Amino acid sequence: MAAWSERLAGVRGVLLDISGVLLDGGKDGGVPIPGSVEALARLKRSQLKVRFCTNESQVSRKDLVGLLRHMGFDISEGEVTSPAPAACLVLKERGLRPHLLVSDGVRSEFHRIDTSKPNCVVIADAGESFSYQNVNKAFQVLMELENPVLISLGKGRYYKQTSGLMLDVGAYMKALEYACGIEAQVVGKPAPEFFQSALREMGLEAHEAIMIGDDIVGDVGGAQSCGMRAVQVRTGKFRPSDEHHPEVKADGHLGARGWAGSLQSRHVTTGIQQPAHRVLLTQRTGVPCPVCAGATKG
Amino acid sequence: MAARRALKAVLVDLNGTLHVEDAAVPGAQEALKRLRGTSVTVRFVTNTTKESKQDLLERLKKLEFDISEDEIFTSLTAARNLVEQKQVRPMLLVDDRALPDFKGIQTSDPNAVVIGLAPEHFHYQILNQAFRLLLDGAPLIAIHKARYYKRKDGLALGPGPFVTALEYATDTQATVVGKPEKTFFLEALRGTGCEPEEAVMIGDDCRDDVGGAQNVGMLGILVKTGKYRAADEEKINPPPYLTCESFPHAVDHILQHLL
Repeated sequence: MAAWSERLAGVRGVLLDISGVLLDGGKDGGVPIPGSVEALARLKRSQLKVRFCTNESQVSRKDLVGLLRHMGFDISEGEVTSPAPAACLVLKERGLRPHLLVSDGVRSEFHRIDTSKPNCVVIADAGESFSYQNVNKAFQVLMELENPVLISLGKGRYYKQTSGLMLDVGAYMKALEYACGIEAQVVGKPAPEFFQSALREMGLEAHEAIMIGDDIVGDVGGAQSCGMRAVQVRTGKFRPSDEHHPEVKADGHLGARGWAGSLQSRHVTTGIQQPAHRVLLTQRTGVPCPVCAGATKG
Repeated sequence: MAARRALKAVLVDLNGTLHVEDAAVPGAQEALKRLRGTSVTVRFVTNTTKESKQDLLERLKKLEFDISEDEIFTSLTAARNLVEQKQVRPMLLVDDRALPDFKGIQTSDPNAVVIGLAPEHFHYQILNQAFRLLLDGAPLIAIHKARYYKRKDGLALGPGPFVTALEYATDTQATVVGKPEKTFFLEALRGTGCEPEEAVMIGDDCRDDVGGAQNVGMLGILVKTGKYRAADEEKINPPPYLTCESFPHAVDHILQHLL
């Protein structure tokens, strides 16, 4: 594989996944991944543009940002691309009135949307609300429609919480697809439109951005198929088998302590005058660090 | 069909073929007696996710069918056989009424998942528990993969969607044990000493009964009772060996032409 400096040439912005990269969700909101608060702060002091690109659909963007800020992350709502607001745009554009198979925590995102006489189903990561009754209700709504439309906020298989791995919305999306013999439309990663809208917000072309995430398919594969580069962190839902994924090959993996750990290594000092793409070797591990570029002043 | 061997076994579907819900198909009891008067072995095969053999037997006795428990082979039996073969300890996501068919099976500290139709178990926490077992390499055994079924209050999700959810999340394939799987029909014949080429299957489900049986080399007879709908026989290729009015007609055909 080419040296990091080559692989990262021309990168002007970083798209950061949230769950599994900044924090592991769980009871009372979860816990930050060690070192990630400081790493984000350094990244933001660099010349790189930073945006957050998440499939979080169990809580509203407002609550998610509130939680992250409470943990000490430098983040604001306007910097976050998340699927519920994106879905609302799609619903309005197409005149769709959804039946919502979502958790109570994200309902506020849809408060301006007409949900009477539903003509589609929107499914999000509903967590505990994925009871048989609730999933069955969504199924019945779809079966009543002449042209059943299922919109899924992401299609992740699972995600990591402090208590372990958890089934994600993708599993339930597949259940409804199979039951109704239909194909869902995905709003969120890995849909190209979703990455593209995040890039638009940053004012960057795909080849100028790098995605950092813990999902080899949704983050890495999705970003790469849009023409972005993408690295996988070894935190969150990362499993060693991801490094030998049959279809997706990341542009790099970040060490056991993740991207945040790499950023903390000794060589990364915010005062170094380096072009953003010049990548330094981690003295401690000998492993090159792709995001330390973000910690250098160009 | 000149190469066919003499008929030695007849497999018969239950609901929709011998009876429809709580009513026997007219003449079915007598037809079964006529069949038993010959040398063929008779087995009763059905896809069930919630009724144990004992439940099925009681209903059949009430309808005055002369059937014994060891002649019944269900998708639950098939699942149990597979669990025993693999020597695994399953987490049983099945209806409580099906549990008697798994009596004696070790289920503590599970290392496999058996999934049937169990709406009361299909909650997030329990499915997540199953998901974690599968991610650790436990095999997934599905009784069958029906998409939905009809309830009094409308359509309701069958086990298939939940099997699919777990398959997708863990990137694995379930082993499906019910009709129309090949192994189901082969297992049903086990102990009869018959080859598929020496057997005929009678059922009301063109794909699952007739198509499945013909795929392993049996003859398939479709009856126009139960869930049969006009032109069902055109759903499979090759078409059913025979389509006839009901179980008694099927028996008459066997007695006159296959023995």
